Amino acid sequence: MANIKMKKSFTAKPQTIILDSSTDYVIKKPGNYIFELVTPKTEISISMVAKAKGEENLETEILIHHLAPEIKAQTTLKAVGFDSSKISLKAKILIDPECKKTKSFLTERVLLVSPLARALAIPDLEILTDDVRCSHAASVTKIPEEQIFYLISRGLKRRVAEEMIVEGFLKTDH
Amino acid sequence: MTNCATLNEPPFPPSNQTGTEFYFPTKNYQHITKPGLTENTIREISDLKNEPKWMLDIRLRAFRHFQLLTTPTWGADLSGIEFDKIRYFLKATDEKPSWDDVPPEVKETFDRLGIPEAERSVLAGVKAQYDSEVVYGSLRKEWEKDGVIFLSMDEGLKRYPDLVKEYFGKVIPSNDNRYAALNTAAWSGGSFVYIPKGVNVKMPLQTYFRINAELSGQFERTLIIVDEGAKVHYVEGCTAPNFTSNSLHSAVVEIFVKDGATCQYTTIQNWYKNVYNLVTKRSRVETEGQMIWTDFNMGSKVTMKYPGFILAGKGAKGETLSMALAGSSQHQDTGSKAIHLAPYTSSNIVSKSISKDGGRASYRGMVKIAPDAHHCKSSVICDALILDGQSRTDTYPTNIIDNNQVEMTHEATVSKVGDDQLFYLMSRGLDEEKAKKLIVNGFIAGLVKKLPLEYAVEMNRLIDHEMEGSVG
Repeated sequence: MANIKMKKSFTAKPQTIILDSSTDYVIKKPGNYIFELVTPKTEISISMVAKAKGEENLETEILIHHLAPEIKAQTTLKAVGFDSSKISLKAKILIDPECKKTKSFLTERVLLVSPLARALAIPDLEILTDDVRCSHAASVTKIPEEQIFYLISRGLKRRVAEEMIVEGFLKTDH
Repeated sequence: MTNCATLNEPPFPPSNQTGTEFYFPTKNYQHITKPGLTENTIREISDLKNEPKWMLDIRLRAFRHFQLLTTPTWGADLSGIEFDKIRYFLKATDEKPSWDDVPPEVKETFDRLGIPEAERSVLAGVKAQYDSEVVYGSLRKEWEKDGVIFLSMDEGLKRYPDLVKEYFGKVIPSNDNRYAALNTAAWSGGSFVYIPKGVNVKMPLQTYFRINAELSGQFERTLIIVDEGAKVHYVEGCTAPNFTSNSLHSAVVEIFVKDGATCQYTTIQNWYKNVYNLVTKRSRVETEGQMIWTDFNMGSKVTMKYPGFILAGKGAKGETLSMALAGSSQHQDTGSKAIHLAPYTSSNIVSKSISKDGGRASYRGMVKIAPDAHHCKSSVICDALILDGQSRTDTYPTNIIDNNQVEMTHEATVSKVGDDQLFYLMSRGLDEEKAKKLIVNGFIAGLVKKLPLEYAVEMNRLIDHEMEGSVG
């Protein structure tokens, strides 16, 4: 039931992707996705990195649906907002009953480079069984001024320093 | 000492009828309105209370909002509420039901919590509240010396109409949501508190101390104004099960925290398990002010409650500590809202929930940081403990960040009681039940520490008791 409700709540028609073996799935393009995790004892990693520039409105909505027991999943969404862009990340982990020994983690990280950039982060959890370890984390931050200061003091221009920090943010695992 | 606000008026259903929904005994009342809410009922309520005309106008406008607004499409299932069957105003007589009518499971809970004999009868509604006047009268004198006003809302409106008019409905307008509208239209009872500039009220103000008045009711309305630099801790509710024949409890609490003031509002809610508890609580915090919500929800059938703060002044702080326990056929949909409007404001939300025996606990929260609110900090932490396979836990946070000079973090975890933890404790000689109790009490220990001592002791006992699954 919860699943049906969730599908309805998508703003646009989502694309359903069935992950039936251990994989590292990379979301290439922002959009609406449903991931169905169907094979027991698989290890799944789902990730996305995105940049929003100008007036862009970057919207991503995903559902990670656990349909089998003993799956380990790690979902990481990262986005950087430049100029007056808007970033919206909605992600939900849904664990069906009888999905024992599930481990599922969701991370949403947003870096707002420009003071006019905006962000909406909604990480949801719906857990219908008890034997799980599940967590999510979301953060929205700017580039710490001391990091910029450090790079500038090493002779870099401010713009270059910002670019380097953004690249580093998108590359690291968490 | 147990400090509990209970209904002064609850002739609860006889034990063979508990669980019957919308059961309203009609004896023991001086005045009862007909079931259902109409303009006439509202005029009748207002007339009985001798209210000024502007309050009647507020009520009537709210009633129109109530008719126009719809039940929220998110959150708990509220389809069981039959608005037409509710009696919106009851005035109790002095005649109390006898101790023998108290359901046995309540008496047992009182025993287990270690509530003093004299207070049990008050809690069960068989003794009038003002019997405690002797004990608490001296505290009242001290407050009055400092100019602290602590009255029932009805009395507050009679004696300080200008203050009430200035603040009533200003942070929770009547069209905020359907239940706030219903409350504004039909409110009765609740507290009115005013703390003058610079006064630090050292003893927590407890609804239990307020004498000679309806303590709480279906549609309580509380208004707290903490003036510049003042400090207060307000406590409502109690750990003992709270009996009421009313199956809908819809309260509104408005708090104004002025420059540099501090307010802590503690709720301990253990409604009977047929109650829909739909409460709107919000505070407005000015420059350098601080608001702390401590919110413990154990009882009721459905609770939807999201205490919030609007951080309107530079450097204002808000904190919410929320605990929910959802047992069999309960849905606790709780959380907190932080609205950052001014720069250098900070919010901190900690939520812990436990779901067991098929119960459902949800965290629903919102953090909104306005474009001009630079250098804000917000941290939200939700931990859920799920004790068996039939139970369910959800987390629905919404974070809206409209500028980049902020630090916003949100974390949530869901886990069960670890087999390794149980194994460790059981190898030390505890049986499984004791080990589980210890782990659950450890899980909420950080929040319980923020309660006044006597509540903390009772809270631990209550959790123990709930874990045995023997509280009705």
